[in-house]
Amino acid sequence: MSGRAGSRLNVDAVALFAAAATLICAAPALAVIGFALAPGEGARFGGPLLTNGALGTLGLTLAGGTGAIVLGAASAWLVSLCRFPGRGAFEWLLVIPLAAPSYVLAYAYSGLTWAGGPIAFPVRGFWGAAFIYAIGLYPYVYLAARAAFASQSACALEAARTLGAKPGALFFRVGLPLARPGLVAGGALALMEIAADYGAAQHFGLTTLSTAIFRAWYAHQSAHGALQIAAVLLIAALVFLVAERRARGRAGFADGGARWRTLPRYTLSPLAAAGAFVFCAGLIVLGAALPLGWLAYIAVEHTYAADITKAFFNSISLAGAGALATLVLAALIAVSARRGGAMGKFSLFAAGMGYAAPGAVLALGAFSMFGLMREFGWIGGVGVSLALVTLIWAYAARFTAAGAQPIDAGLARLSKGLDASARTLGAGPARRLWQVDLPIAAPSLAAALLILFVDILKELPATLIIRPFNFDTLAVIAYQYASDEQLELAAAPSLLIFAAGLAPILLLTRSIARGRAGSR
Amino acid sequence: MPFNLSRRTFALGASAAALAACSQQTPAAEEPNFVNLYTARHYDADRMLYAAFQEATGVEVRALSGNAEQLLERMRTEGDATEADLFVSADAGNLWRVKDAGLLQNVTSPTLEANVPTRLRDPEGAFWGFSKRARIIVYRKDAVRPEEVASFDNLADARFRGQIVMRSSSNTYQLSTLSSRIERLGAENAQAWASGVRANFARDPQGSDTDQIKAVAAGEAQASVCNHYYYLRLTRSEDPADRQVVERVGFVFPDQAGSGTHVNISGGGVARHAKRPGRAKQFLEWLVSDEAQNLLAPVNVEFPIRPEIAPAPDLAAMGAFKEEDIPLDALGRHQAEAARIFEAAGWK
Repeated sequence: MSGRAGSRLNVDAVALFAAAATLICAAPALAVIGFALAPGEGARFGGPLLTNGALGTLGLTLAGGTGAIVLGAASAWLVSLCRFPGRGAFEWLLVIPLAAPSYVLAYAYSGLTWAGGPIAFPVRGFWGAAFIYAIGLYPYVYLAARAAFASQSACALEAARTLGAKPGALFFRVGLPLARPGLVAGGALALMEIAADYGAAQHFGLTTLSTAIFRAWYAHQSAHGALQIAAVLLIAALVFLVAERRARGRAGFADGGARWRTLPRYTLSPLAAAGAFVFCAGLIVLGAALPLGWLAYIAVEHTYAADITKAFFNSISLAGAGALATLVLAALIAVSARRGGAMGKFSLFAAGMGYAAPGAVLALGAFSMFGLMREFGWIGGVGVSLALVTLIWAYAARFTAAGAQPIDAGLARLSKGLDASARTLGAGPARRLWQVDLPIAAPSLAAALLILFVDILKELPATLIIRPFNFDTLAVIAYQYASDEQLELAAAPSLLIFAAGLAPILLLTRSIARGRAGSR
Repeated sequence: MPFNLSRRTFALGASAAALAACSQQTPAAEEPNFVNLYTARHYDADRMLYAAFQEATGVEVRALSGNAEQLLERMRTEGDATEADLFVSADAGNLWRVKDAGLLQNVTSPTLEANVPTRLRDPEGAFWGFSKRARIIVYRKDAVRPEEVASFDNLADARFRGQIVMRSSSNTYQLSTLSSRIERLGAENAQAWASGVRANFARDPQGSDTDQIKAVAAGEAQASVCNHYYYLRLTRSEDPADRQVVERVGFVFPDQAGSGTHVNISGGGVARHAKRPGRAKQFLEWLVSDEAQNLLAPVNVEFPIRPEIAPAPDLAAMGAFKEEDIPLDALGRHQAEAARIFEAAGWK
């Protein structure tokens, strides 16, 4: 039999593909760091621009990130473990703000609350941006926390309850610690989204590393200086990812065996139930209904020169293709990281750091790579197909973390024993991938695919700069009108982005509900 | 050749192929009837112009709109492989930067020379204006007399302490305005002016030009600065809130007694590595033709580049004004310095 030889060949195949996937995903970010280290003008950006940008990013990730984590964890706890009117509906409604890009929320809130707007309380400046991030990004934490609460052993919670723990104590002393890995993973995504955001921070006039990158690039006319600041951001993201993994890694639990039960839910007192209802409803109103409703209100009765139908189709197909490509790469990387040692883990971080960088920077990295390849004579022209491949490459470079994180979390449920048994039975790495890893991670694969789809649908800067001629997406059209200060015209494409993202998000929520332990 | 292309597309993967199928393939023809445009302008009027050009000449305009600096960087990395024939931007400083990067070619054209005023084009013919805009001061009518804001200088007066709102200094329009001052009066003067205006801020910079006008109307400040067409758009709006803004806010073309109002152009230049330089030039020439200028005038919010073409009636009603006379490349040359001056002044 070809047993041993075949298995060794398989080892090479999976590990090799994973290494290639890592290289593909990390290359644009590594190119940015490489070009930043190359000698050139722009050394002065070690100065105030970098310092102020770093402080701004730190402040916003702390304030906005804390907000997102608190809102996400609290809402997930309420719908998972408490009983109050509307709970079932909130369970899926709470994910809705995920479909609204931060820059759309920023534009909507400035129109709603700035000078002469219908709401007199201005959402602006640092705290305004922190609010936008918290309310727009809490679903990342909610999703992760929801999944974590759902898969917690009912026994641990019931034991605590039997021992007389009050709901508050149960949340802080049992639920929260048990859900920490999920909270950290979801929080990490939210924090990196904040670091990468350019549109909202720019509109609110804040200096962050992302806005500093573009100030160096545009105002100081120094693409090299921009790359240097971007390199700082990327390296910070890498360090952050390693730290995040350590924070999560120490909290390794055996998950209490297989005795799943329906989760016990508290019936809240009328007052507490009303509070829970207002809290959850408030999140949905502030994160989606109010800003998007206002956009819908100003969007009425406008005619468009831009072909929105075509842009809608372009957006959907691009997001679909980009999400599939990124998912394959992210799955390979995540599986191999689970199996491999330090090197495998590092590949997860290297491929993931792009999530904290603005898409335009990674686009620049991808372009530079193509420039080099062209100089070496490996490729020829710059046609339509090459532009689309570059674009999908940039998506992979930017969003791998968003795909790999949920897959990795899903694989965490795979007990070491199962893998060992499969191995003892002679299954090679490829076969274990197909017959063990992927089936077990299937729900998280679906979740990752949907998150990627929505993320790419919302993506603007990389799409804007890499797309081929006569190829507009919804985000591009929204940007064109918004940058021309015609918010009433930007409103309809923005709403369509939201609408196109909504369906997958609702699917995603259902899949989580179905994946809940005890309901199988 | 088309066969080759689609074969390569398939080799690049099913997903890319699916996408390529819904966009247009590059046709291979000795006589191309299209021209590729990198454009940092994105007005609905532009789409109408492309259609009219195709109607008139049979040549299709394929546009890739985006941010000027990013399009420049894309063109740079694409090098001589680029598909871009023409670069269009709504800022002379950006056009100068593309020229400075060696990515435009000089064009000689009697049509362009006859129609584009010398001051509104590159002396060597690397870029040509086709419409222009003015930077105006807006003020709250019940708090400010127009003569108090007759000049940009006034915005730095102690009279306006805590009464000025501005947009971010990262914005190209702000940078170009300060660049023109550096060109006329030197960096020291520009620094003093920026610091003076900064000291008058009612709040940190935020939002767009339109947001500044609305802030003035809402009483957050007494004066600000914007491109003329953002004010014009509000006068065209049917929204009662916008009408109220226009009722409360007046405008002046600044510096009429002195150097003249700061003016910038929308313009274009033929790419150094254009594959269809003839088509690119044809489009530029058509843009300043009677047909295009008269077509553009009624819908355009900018002023026609040719003085003899009448702008839209409401635009003409804003009044005639004296324009600042500086070489437009100054807007590009001084831009990085302008950014440093803004930063030193603490103008975010």
